[in-house]
Amino acid sequence: MKAHKKILAILLTTVICLAAMMGCGKSPVQSETDSQSQETARKASSEPAETESKAKEPLEVTINFWHHYSAQSAENETLTKVLIPKFEEENPGIRVNAVSHEWADLHEKLLISAQSGTLPDVARLDSAWVPELWEMGILTSLDEEMSDFDEVSGALLESAMSTARIDGHFYGLALNTNTKILFYNVKALAEAGIDVPETMDEFVTAVKALAGTNGNGQQVWGYNEPALSGWNLCPFIWSMGGSLTDEAQTKGSGFINSPQTVEAIEMFADLYADGAITGWNSGDIPMTDGFGTGRYMMLLEGPWKVAEMKGAYPDFEYATAGMPAGKGGSVSVLGGEDIAMFNSADKDASWKFMKFMTGGYAQEEMAKCGQIPVNKEALESDTAKEADFAPFLEAIAAAKSRPTVSCWSEMDNELSVAVTAVVSGEKTAAQAMDELAEKFDALLAK
Amino acid sequence: MRISTKSKWQIALLLLPGLLIFGTFTLYPIIKLFYMSFFEWDFKNALGQSFIGMGNYREVAGDVYFRTAFVNTILYTLITVPGQMVIGFLIALLISQVTKFKVGYRVLYYLPVVTSWVIASLVFKYVFNTEGLLNYFLVNIAHVAGKNVRWLDTRWGGLAVAMLLGIWKGIGWNMVVFLAALQTVSQDLYEAAEVDGAGPVRKLFAVTLPGIRGTILFALVMLTIGGFNVFTSVKMITGGEPAHRTDVVLTWMYYKAFSAGKFGYSAALSFLITLALAVLAVIQFRLMQKKDR
Repeated sequence: MKAHKKILAILLTTVICLAAMMGCGKSPVQSETDSQSQETARKASSEPAETESKAKEPLEVTINFWHHYSAQSAENETLTKVLIPKFEEENPGIRVNAVSHEWADLHEKLLISAQSGTLPDVARLDSAWVPELWEMGILTSLDEEMSDFDEVSGALLESAMSTARIDGHFYGLALNTNTKILFYNVKALAEAGIDVPETMDEFVTAVKALAGTNGNGQQVWGYNEPALSGWNLCPFIWSMGGSLTDEAQTKGSGFINSPQTVEAIEMFADLYADGAITGWNSGDIPMTDGFGTGRYMMLLEGPWKVAEMKGAYPDFEYATAGMPAGKGGSVSVLGGEDIAMFNSADKDASWKFMKFMTGGYAQEEMAKCGQIPVNKEALESDTAKEADFAPFLEAIAAAKSRPTVSCWSEMDNELSVAVTAVVSGEKTAAQAMDELAEKFDALLAK
Repeated sequence: MRISTKSKWQIALLLLPGLLIFGTFTLYPIIKLFYMSFFEWDFKNALGQSFIGMGNYREVAGDVYFRTAFVNTILYTLITVPGQMVIGFLIALLISQVTKFKVGYRVLYYLPVVTSWVIASLVFKYVFNTEGLLNYFLVNIAHVAGKNVRWLDTRWGGLAVAMLLGIWKGIGWNMVVFLAALQTVSQDLYEAAEVDGAGPVRKLFAVTLPGIRGTILFALVMLTIGGFNVFTSVKMITGGEPAHRTDVVLTWMYYKAFSAGKFGYSAALSFLITLALAVLAVIQFRLMQKKDR
């Protein structure tokens, strides 16, 4: 009896220890939802890694660089083993301490550090964060403070640079860019006798035709969209001729509730009601798995999906095409990252590092890991032309960025709440968009 | 008892490390949070916050998303607290009666308690996914349902799964607490009741329950606080989706602070919740005391 108790006690202790240790791991679902809804999806990494920051000479400057290249990724490898050593060699006296964060963590960490005054010198920012950080007044206005700014920005893609431009000034340099294009299941389209959809009407027909049940009696969907935020809806709204706000980004009335925008939302809701599309529900199959196992026939996704599919479903046969064109043309949504410095930074050293990271050499090295360059010289290189992301280059030229306003995250939230009410059948698209327009107006007026 | 000045110093010195840690990591953040709740503390005002008095509190009170989250939290508490207490108590009663493998049963029922919340939430998510185990069982094995049920995709479905997890995970703790309490009820009372001709049901209500009233109150207060603190399971299982309909107060507070950057709002919200909890705890104590008389 005693021995029994002892064994049980040991068992219990082991279970407690195991449970405690497992609790520390990052959850796969968290990273999956992040990657579903966010453009900067990278496969989950766990611990933030950092490079060495040992000071050799007392006169050295160390700049802290925070980024969200995953700790175990090829990008991080290139950064720490190729780019930073090269930069430090070219710029004696400057050392770079690079710290890797997860995408969502970096956002939170920057907000908190801004409150406590412990910001790094330079950071790689999701372009969607720039307006928020600008509003906090912590970003350096580069065109006002750097004498050679025009020369540096002139070497970079204009569409990508537009993500760092607020109120006529530039608060960062574009670092890499991306957009979404159509991924489709080659076999499924061929079997259904459907051509790759080039227009919105063809897309709707194709989605309906591809949905149904497969040989195993499982439900399949023609298209998957993992969330209902601006990143997900904008390509459809824009391509169908709608918009979110006016050009000056001061109001939503007449734009988010324009007939074209309403039509785009209605199209989504109708397809959902037909059971032809799915994706934004908590219970759905994750995007990559659904596509790789033939349950989702089409997706709109960015260049990272190429790497993900290679890793998870290397034998799956798929191809890509441009965003189907509607009344507004074929307009996808622009993602990507900027590199920016904070007001508290060592500005000379930081600027040198930013110029290096956006320069031809660094951009071409990063292109080898699948980062789409914004440097025109690097874009012309053979590396870029032969890369996996080559099909995206054309779409990038036509892509638009989401509103560069500081209340964008609130607008984005209201947008997905409104569209959720439409797809769940509680409101008509016109009604929901009219209400949303009022909310947009109020947010933009603040 | 008189304490000499010297030993007073000694006491102060011994208390200092503990007080310092408590002050820095508990007291200071609470005070700072309270201070923040009166300021417009967000992106716009990160470096120069403006005082807006009760503005944040008014915003919280008028917020439809907060109202949904608050109702969800109340429902979660109303369902999971009695659920786990009743089941935990019944299991404790059963285990107190068995003579063999008592420890084994206790370990088995306690296992969910030591399981990580994150892992348990993930398992529940996989079970209740539209393509999950439960639907597979219902559709392909039992043939009860014609097609997959969307368990997680509605407000009540998603919340129900989180509640189920809360109850499943809480039973073991209640069992241990009640098991300990049951042993404190004097055997004499049971014997006296038997002499008076009381059956098992009568004994339960006349002897056992009054005998462990203190423990019931303790569990009630702890679990109510726990119910209001539900976060991990909801965050992992639905993440508040669809459209914040399954949010509970803490997931909503987290969203407002770390996704929307409204620190002032979240600070105000956390104080309102604390206030609600304090009121609830006082009411619970009062109710239990009344019965005492």
